[in-house]
Amino acid sequence: MNGVATVSLAGVGGQGIILAAAIVAQAAMAAGFDVKTSEVKGMAQRGGSVVSTVRYGKQVWSPVSPRADVVIATETLEGRRALDLLADKGTLVYATTVIAPGSVLRGERAYPGDLPEVARARQIRIIAIDAEALAREAGSVRAANVALLGAATHALPFGSAAWERALELAVPARILELNRQAFALGREAGARKEEGL
Amino acid sequence: MERIPFLSGNEAIARGAVRAGLGFACGYPGTPSTEIVEELAGIEGPIVEWCINEKVALETGIGASLAGARALVTMKHVGLNVAADPFMTLALTGVNAGLVVVSADDPGMHSSQNEQGNRHFAAFARVPMLEPSDSQEAYDFVAWAFDLSEEFDTPVLLRSTTRVSHGRGRVVPRAPVRVEAAAYAKDIAKYVMVPEYARERNRLALARLERLRRRAEESPLNVLEAGTTDIGIISSGVAYTYAREAFPKAWFLKLGMSHPLPYRKIAKLYHSVSRVFVVEELDPFLEGQVRALGLPVVGKEVIPSNGELNQEIVFDALEPVLKRRPPRRKRPVFPPPPIIAPAPAPVDDLPVRPPVLCPGCPHRAVYAMLRREKVAVMGDIGCYTLGALPPLLSLESCVCMGASIGMMAGMNRMMGRAAAVAVLGDSTFFHSGITSLIDARYNETPGLVIVLDNRTTAMTGHQGHPGTGLHADRSNGPAIDIAQLCQGIGVPVTTIDAFDEPAVKKAIREALAGRELRVLVTLAPCILLDRSPHERVVVDDERCNLCGLCIDLGCPAVVAGSESIEILSDCTGCGVCLAVCARGALSLPAAADERGARS
Repeated sequence: MNGVATVSLAGVGGQGIILAAAIVAQAAMAAGFDVKTSEVKGMAQRGGSVVSTVRYGKQVWSPVSPRADVVIATETLEGRRALDLLADKGTLVYATTVIAPGSVLRGERAYPGDLPEVARARQIRIIAIDAEALAREAGSVRAANVALLGAATHALPFGSAAWERALELAVPARILELNRQAFALGREAGARKEEGL
Repeated sequence: MERIPFLSGNEAIARGAVRAGLGFACGYPGTPSTEIVEELAGIEGPIVEWCINEKVALETGIGASLAGARALVTMKHVGLNVAADPFMTLALTGVNAGLVVVSADDPGMHSSQNEQGNRHFAAFARVPMLEPSDSQEAYDFVAWAFDLSEEFDTPVLLRSTTRVSHGRGRVVPRAPVRVEAAAYAKDIAKYVMVPEYARERNRLALARLERLRRRAEESPLNVLEAGTTDIGIISSGVAYTYAREAFPKAWFLKLGMSHPLPYRKIAKLYHSVSRVFVVEELDPFLEGQVRALGLPVVGKEVIPSNGELNQEIVFDALEPVLKRRPPRRKRPVFPPPPIIAPAPAPVDDLPVRPPVLCPGCPHRAVYAMLRREKVAVMGDIGCYTLGALPPLLSLESCVCMGASIGMMAGMNRMMGRAAAVAVLGDSTFFHSGITSLIDARYNETPGLVIVLDNRTTAMTGHQGHPGTGLHADRSNGPAIDIAQLCQGIGVPVTTIDAFDEPAVKKAIREALAGRELRVLVTLAPCILLDRSPHERVVVDDERCNLCGLCIDLGCPAVVAGSESIEILSDCTGCGVCLAVCARGALSLPAAADERGARS
């Protein structure tokens, strides 16, 4: 809206959505944009659906938006849910991670498998990677959020230097190297997914 | 002829409450409210207590209301600041049996540190308010207040002031009110104000206010009194008596129910006269709302906003205004009812993902046992509030920080036994559980208080508290021992490992059988603070018949597979599921090895 782009980061509480949003925000600032972010903490954190928002542009007023240009989802069902936020022809970057919610664990509901069809029908560009596997390869499954951001570089107009600066600023020093590694692997995997489209 | 009692407003409120079938009353002393509880304490019938403070008093009153007793909670104006936390959320949960909060305000600060006008609290909490102007009304209005409370499922604010509470007048007694028994029914969506349920109750409260406004239009408590001069006066409480004496020939809109305002009755007054005054003490509470209708009114431009009024102040202020030319007639503009945003529908009917207790959370261990007991579980605010959600459904109230113990106390006082237990976390215990525990001890209330001690303020991100000694800068200070603290106030206390199922079960059973107050501290650190490597539970596929008992614990690491249960990688090996499995299909590797070695 008015030259402002919205990135929504969706996932399950505890997956590192807040850190991921902080990195995207830093990258946007490093790329020269005005940025505002918004997040929900507290009760929602405990394994519930969470969404953080990063908005960037020449000048940003509102910290939230009901409509996103890019969705970055650290879990498949949450990515599917976040399609509701995504504008037609927008981009969904998601991790193929599956975390079943209670109703699915108890066998009351089925885990939905219709993400690709729904996205295709709405001409949504998809970048999907196995972020957890890549993070494990980099040294810790907890870096899956950052691996996913590596894939998201193909959907966001921030240069390599901006991303590098963002990682330095947002990630604690003692796990920075591991996260750089995960980020690079995610970026590579994301590029391959793009070619495949 | 029978002698007509000559009562203070406070005595009249007390007797009016008894007449209305009062079951429970409590409060904290504060001028000018004190004599209500004192009077009640001398009357046979209701259970009456002084509480440790107004917050605990209101929470105890809520418990009594839940247990089915009409409850009256009294305090002075500043006391409602202390009780504001339960008050604001009680406005969402509503009540079971009627619950009336008396706020006795003190314009002029005869005996107070400020003179805040608590009529704002009624608007703030969106609850109905009654304002008696003398002892007879004080007596009569209590029954109206209880009826409104039950009919509209809301607390009612009965607002008095010094001259009503401490004034005296003759009070004609009325026939006692017959009250239907209101048994307690567990209703998690009504009484547990986690965000999801609170949003819905908030919608209901907004809609309720408009229904109450329609009631205020019809209510005989709001009287349009015809006069013989072209002056109309809107007033309530004792200010009405001043205005009545100052302008005996004026028209009056006398508001006994002064929130929400009956807009149409106000418009009617404007049809009858060309000049309208609002006479009220302290803030322009009524006047501002009349102005918002676009109607010309004179009030605080000539009447002081501080201190008490009297008939002379009112006359001297308004009389000069009569020399002004009457204002031009205007049509009132009634504000439209508020827009209430509906709950967003689930996206594409996808399975929702409410927050859950983590795998390995020690709270789950306690709920797994507690939910098998026939007790009402009064809850509190923290991660453990999630025990109210499916599939655990083990916690049935959450009003505000520290409310669990007071609510348990109110229920148990009315039931005369440990019908309810309180469950709260360590940080919440220090926040405001301590005061309620002292109160329960002082009032000799039976019950069991379970402190789920996970050694942190977990929900908000593991902050320190007095029980851990951890400061904001992560440095260590003195840690206060919960058990010692309980012992210090004379409450027997047991500390048990939260995962020691037989011991926790035994402690709960013993406490519930007794008639004394006890504390059980279930101790185990928050699993998110425990970074040690965990072993995972193993499933014996032969034994598992997918009965679902373990799934019913709501652990995110336990999944229904096609043939048997599957345990996910985030299992911490806490073993709670082992204890519920009837077929011995679940085990921890170490235990499985032992069994293998024995056979």
